[in-house]
Amino acid sequence: MPEPFVIDNREDSLFQVHREVFTSPEIFERERELIFGPAWLYAGHESELPRRNDFRTRDVGGRPVIFTRDRHGEVRVLLNTCLHRGASLCRHPAGNAKIFTCFYHGWAYRNSGELVNVPSVEDYAGAPTDVYRTLPAPRVESYRGFYFVNFSGDAPDLRTWLGTSAYLLDLAVDQSEDGIEILPGTHSYTLQANWKLLVENSVDGYHAKSVHHTYFEMMMELGQTPPMLGDSDTNGVPPAGLGTEFGNGHATLMYPGNGLPLANEAVTHNLAALRSRAVERFGESYATAVFDLARNTIFFPNFVLIDLNFGMILRTITPLGPDRTQVSSWQLTPRGLDEESLRYRIDNALTFWGPAGLATPDDVEALEQAQRGFGARREMPWSDISKGMGKARPAANDELQMRAWWRQWNAVMTGEPLPREVEEFIPFDVPVQQPQGA
Amino acid sequence: MTTSTRTEIEDFLYLEASLLDEWRLEEWVELFTLDCTYEVPATDAPEADPALSWSLIHDRRTMLEQRVIRLKKPEAHAEFPHSRTSRIIGNVRILEQREDSLEVSASFLVSRMKAGKFDQYAGHYFYELVPGLKIRRKKAVLAHDCLDPQGKISFVL
Repeated sequence: MPEPFVIDNREDSLFQVHREVFTSPEIFERERELIFGPAWLYAGHESELPRRNDFRTRDVGGRPVIFTRDRHGEVRVLLNTCLHRGASLCRHPAGNAKIFTCFYHGWAYRNSGELVNVPSVEDYAGAPTDVYRTLPAPRVESYRGFYFVNFSGDAPDLRTWLGTSAYLLDLAVDQSEDGIEILPGTHSYTLQANWKLLVENSVDGYHAKSVHHTYFEMMMELGQTPPMLGDSDTNGVPPAGLGTEFGNGHATLMYPGNGLPLANEAVTHNLAALRSRAVERFGESYATAVFDLARNTIFFPNFVLIDLNFGMILRTITPLGPDRTQVSSWQLTPRGLDEESLRYRIDNALTFWGPAGLATPDDVEALEQAQRGFGARREMPWSDISKGMGKARPAANDELQMRAWWRQWNAVMTGEPLPREVEEFIPFDVPVQQPQGA
Repeated sequence: MTTSTRTEIEDFLYLEASLLDEWRLEEWVELFTLDCTYEVPATDAPEADPALSWSLIHDRRTMLEQRVIRLKKPEAHAEFPHSRTSRIIGNVRILEQREDSLEVSASFLVSRMKAGKFDQYAGHYFYELVPGLKIRRKKAVLAHDCLDPQGKISFVL
């Protein structure tokens, strides 16, 4: 394994990452243990489990889980593996069930985890239902409807872990007085590239012009001005945007939103009404942050929220191997939108995002080509992430947010803490009244 | 609509497949009506309305044209150089003949070679065809749990 993994040279404002960390099977295994063991990992949103006994199976940090609302209404995350010999308890992607029965030998569990039935239990000296009782459960905590799990015993609580970055989730939730919801449909795809490349890409403002050139050309042809070409600031965020880091490796880039591409008058009117209700609830500064800024946020290690106002995606990035990554992505919308505005948001978002959008495939291509390029890592061992280093206030297309994430990654992997680069900066008034349940 | 035979429909679908395989996308888009939609639902929600769900593609004519314009540019990085594709269309069935339209289903298998990687996309097409044999609606439902290992649908299915 290379030593060191990263070079953080403050004197020359040079930040480098060793390319071996994208290819090494040993580092991949160490990440599974050290990164995905102790971190709070996003599991799902409350709106995905509207009724009691609803469930969805998914993979969280490499562990198969059942994300479910049990018969008492409590949201739980169960490990999707039988205590007996390991087979999956549930093989459906989603549904409604009170009991999960392992098809291998028939051991059955309530959706709150208790082992309730073992066939031929009379053959056991001690009944397995008494010996094992329940499936071991990871810790589950939520922040404003976002559910996270933690597979380690001694992590801080979720709110502490999120720190200031929790306000980025607030900005998403507060778009409507009724909160937000996940739409039906998951974008589920794999990359033939290391997971950390998509982490970088998700908060990389620098690649937009070169990779998504054809998208911006198309939008201009349809009469839209691309973002970041305005001339005034929005809530203290300059036209070029800014990058901000928080504790624990969370980071965001914010920039003035690019308006409402392709919106008709009715949609513009409806969304303006949504905004003015937010002004009443929270005041102008916070409402401006909610509606007039766009942002890409990475919550360490692998949860992404990209809010372009006219469309909002959540993404989890799960490593399958050093050069193979699973992506799941969902669309979040304010609840209670009229159908026309909803259609508009979805169409706009789809145009850009997803494995069949007009932009995401080019990102995937770039990451797969980077992975291919790492074949020459012995001759060219370092990747550079120095852009904007040393600036008091890096712009959205600088790389502060990636360095912040990498410093946390490095601290977890090596035990070597690297000090932060800039002070936290949130360009909006935090609303005085947080809704209940925050 | 004058009655169409399955052979006529098959010929039409084979023509569409060959225009796509040969990257004659400007000609391909002319197979569609001006009020057309081209849909690919999410793999876990094949029945959901693409206008109201997080589907993979929901294009109307303008966006379809823009997709074609984009795909012909060298800066459409995922498809430059273009992938080589081979489409097999089968199991063509006329589901319903109406006065002014025709419902058709078919199976597809698209094989794709790009940059040393060979992928396959399998699924079912549903078409609404109108007189003069134009496509008013094309829906491609993927028979995949996940886009693995393809990772992207960067060309037209």
